[in-house]
Amino acid sequence: MPVLSPKSWPLAIKLSLTITAVVAAVGFMIGAVIVAQDWKRFQDELGTKALLLSEFVAITTPKAMLRKDYWQLYLSLKNMASRRSDTTGGHEVITAMILDTEGKVMAHLHPAENKMDLPFSPGNRIEEELFQQAMSTRSTIVLSSGGFSKTGFQEGVVPIFSDQKYMGVVRVRLSVAQLYEKAKDSAMIVLALVFCFVIIGSGLGTIVSRRMVKPLTAVTQGLEAVGRGEMTDFTPIPINERDEIGRLSVTFNQIMAELAEKKMLEEEIAMSEKLVALGRITAGVAHEVNNPLAGLLNCIDTLRKHPDDKKLIDRYLPVIDQGLHRIKDIVHSLLVGLKIEESHETMSIQHIDKLHDLIKAEIGDRNIDIIWENHTNKDLHIPGKIEQIVCNLLKNAVEILPQGGRVVFCMHQNGPQLVIEVSDNGPGIPSNIRNQLFDPFFTTKTNGTGLGLWVVYRLVQSMEGIIEVMSDEDQGTTFHVSIPVITMKAA
Amino acid sequence: MRLIYLLLLFWIYPTFATETEPPIRFGLTAVVLTENLRFLDQWSQYLGQKMDRKIEFVLRKSYQDVMDLLDSGGIEFAWICGYPYVQTRKPESLQLLTVPIYRGAPRYHSYIIVHHNSTHQRFSDLKGKIFAFSDPDSNSEFLYPLTLMMEKGEKPETFFRQTFFTFNHAETVQAVSEQVADGGAVDSYIWEYLAIFRPDITEKTRIIKTSPSFGFPPIVSRVGVNDTTVSLMKSILENMDEDLAGQELLERLKLDGFGHFSDSLFNEIRAMAYKIRRADPICSMLPTE
Repeated sequence: MPVLSPKSWPLAIKLSLTITAVVAAVGFMIGAVIVAQDWKRFQDELGTKALLLSEFVAITTPKAMLRKDYWQLYLSLKNMASRRSDTTGGHEVITAMILDTEGKVMAHLHPAENKMDLPFSPGNRIEEELFQQAMSTRSTIVLSSGGFSKTGFQEGVVPIFSDQKYMGVVRVRLSVAQLYEKAKDSAMIVLALVFCFVIIGSGLGTIVSRRMVKPLTAVTQGLEAVGRGEMTDFTPIPINERDEIGRLSVTFNQIMAELAEKKMLEEEIAMSEKLVALGRITAGVAHEVNNPLAGLLNCIDTLRKHPDDKKLIDRYLPVIDQGLHRIKDIVHSLLVGLKIEESHETMSIQHIDKLHDLIKAEIGDRNIDIIWENHTNKDLHIPGKIEQIVCNLLKNAVEILPQGGRVVFCMHQNGPQLVIEVSDNGPGIPSNIRNQLFDPFFTTKTNGTGLGLWVVYRLVQSMEGIIEVMSDEDQGTTFHVSIPVITMKAA
Repeated sequence: MRLIYLLLLFWIYPTFATETEPPIRFGLTAVVLTENLRFLDQWSQYLGQKMDRKIEFVLRKSYQDVMDLLDSGGIEFAWICGYPYVQTRKPESLQLLTVPIYRGAPRYHSYIIVHHNSTHQRFSDLKGKIFAFSDPDSNSEFLYPLTLMMEKGEKPETFFRQTFFTFNHAETVQAVSEQVADGGAVDSYIWEYLAIFRPDITEKTRIIKTSPSFGFPPIVSRVGVNDTTVSLMKSILENMDEDLAGQELLERLKLDGFGHFSDSLFNEIRAMAYKIRRADPICSMLPTE
């Protein structure tokens, strides 16, 4: 599906999508940085709070630790934990503990699982590492679960000293769950803002790209019109800017104006050429018709003077008949040629092969060889005019050939072109008359009308085809016709 | 504690602004509702009006503190436990005033409690565990479990892995309910009282042993307080159930009233204390006399 391929998308869409993508990428990057910084700040604040809580416990516990007043130690943890969650509504204390120098539990917020006076047992490898860090530190530290997770935590670790003697450590661990929600909320706000920016950015991008692409679209449409040969009804591109696109539009408008002028000139020339050709034909017709007419009128005049002269009648009647037939042939040829020229009928290409038999009949018992090669697809349909072209070329060749001559007919396809070649090994065309070959009423044959090749030329031209002649004296002649007419139709 | 004392003073002061006599001081520990200050205000006002003298409740952490106050003349009356009462003093510094009547008799029990999810069924199951006591001078919460251990030839240091004192009966129940301790000893009166007002903590405990009954913690007067004051106080307390205000106060205390009983009410406690002393005269955890 070519429509789905981005390469075929209009520039306006590609440009606005690119602008949208850039705005979105920048927006999301900035958003991600803000969210990440927020998260880090929240974590740091939580770590500080955990440390403050641990310090609070550590200050109040040394005496109770010395007296092994487990209940007081437990109450100090419990009060600290309940005060946090009740008063600030802030951060839930996940766990808290007081450990002695050997790592035994002096008090734990979850006494059921962590019995007093027994060594603290970390649940897993990570907990074991945290425990080792907490036991080895002699200064306050913050331990963190790290990462962006709802189950993460920040832990304040404060060693307990009494008279500079190390007595143990307080660990208070705060949950990041509420922070996580807070960070998620702020991330959602950032996301919504980015989304708004993307919408605004893409809107602006669309407007800007449309503005930029509009002159280009006009240039493209103009060039397409040039391709179709429609230059005169081109509307000049409005010039709003003086940038590169503006300059391109100005240049393009100039080119189009010049092309339109040229086209008009060409049309005028073609019109005058047509008039010249028409004049020439009219003159030719007048001349060709006038020639026998003068003889005919003489004959009729003579016969009128000698109405009873049987000899004269026998002599002049065939002349009159011949002259009238000649006039009839000329008019017929002209009519046929013009009629076919206007025709838009199509036919199967197989019709061309019927001409093979026709031309054989034309040859009769003369010793002329015909080589017939049709390499085209049998399903092809071609304009009916082509039959007349082939017929005229073949007749021309056959008429000119002496005994023992050879005509080669070859037809094949070349892309959209139908290529027809008619060759003979006749006397060839003298170079001095080659320019006049396709002129009307030009003939070298004694009884030719001089319209056969003229009709061929007109028909080829009417189909925007090309006709070429290659001829060497005593070597023969080849007519090469190429017409862009290949259309496939169901047979 | 001083702050509470001061607050109480300011609260009560206007009522007795004209009094010139020094107030009568009444010593209490966490044996009863020491946190319920409004109740103590009402009770002191009630007693003050009846005696026509200002009454001050003096709150102390332990029985020992209250006994010291009695010895030093810091208080005139005190609500103490049967165990300090039966201990021998030379010369005797206190005398029995009156005994609260609880559920029809001046008697109560000691409960050995464990967490309600605990698998422990007997006191002996608590060997090697953590045990919570309230006060080393308490009968139900120290002397009785000590006797149980002695019967097995053990001492707290050897029987339990670890022990601690909460100096607050309610907190002993709390320590067991929150599994800080595996077991604890608590006064039946306090446990039943908490079951009404703090069921959230008693529901998480289970009684695995109930002691025989003992004489209820008595109210004593200091030797040397004049007889009129002593007999007036005794009469007011023992007649509290006869007026509406007194009945309301008794209802709050969940007591039937106060009554006159002979010293022999405490013979069971006396016998236990004697047995303990004979078995281990230098028991480190026993209060020194």
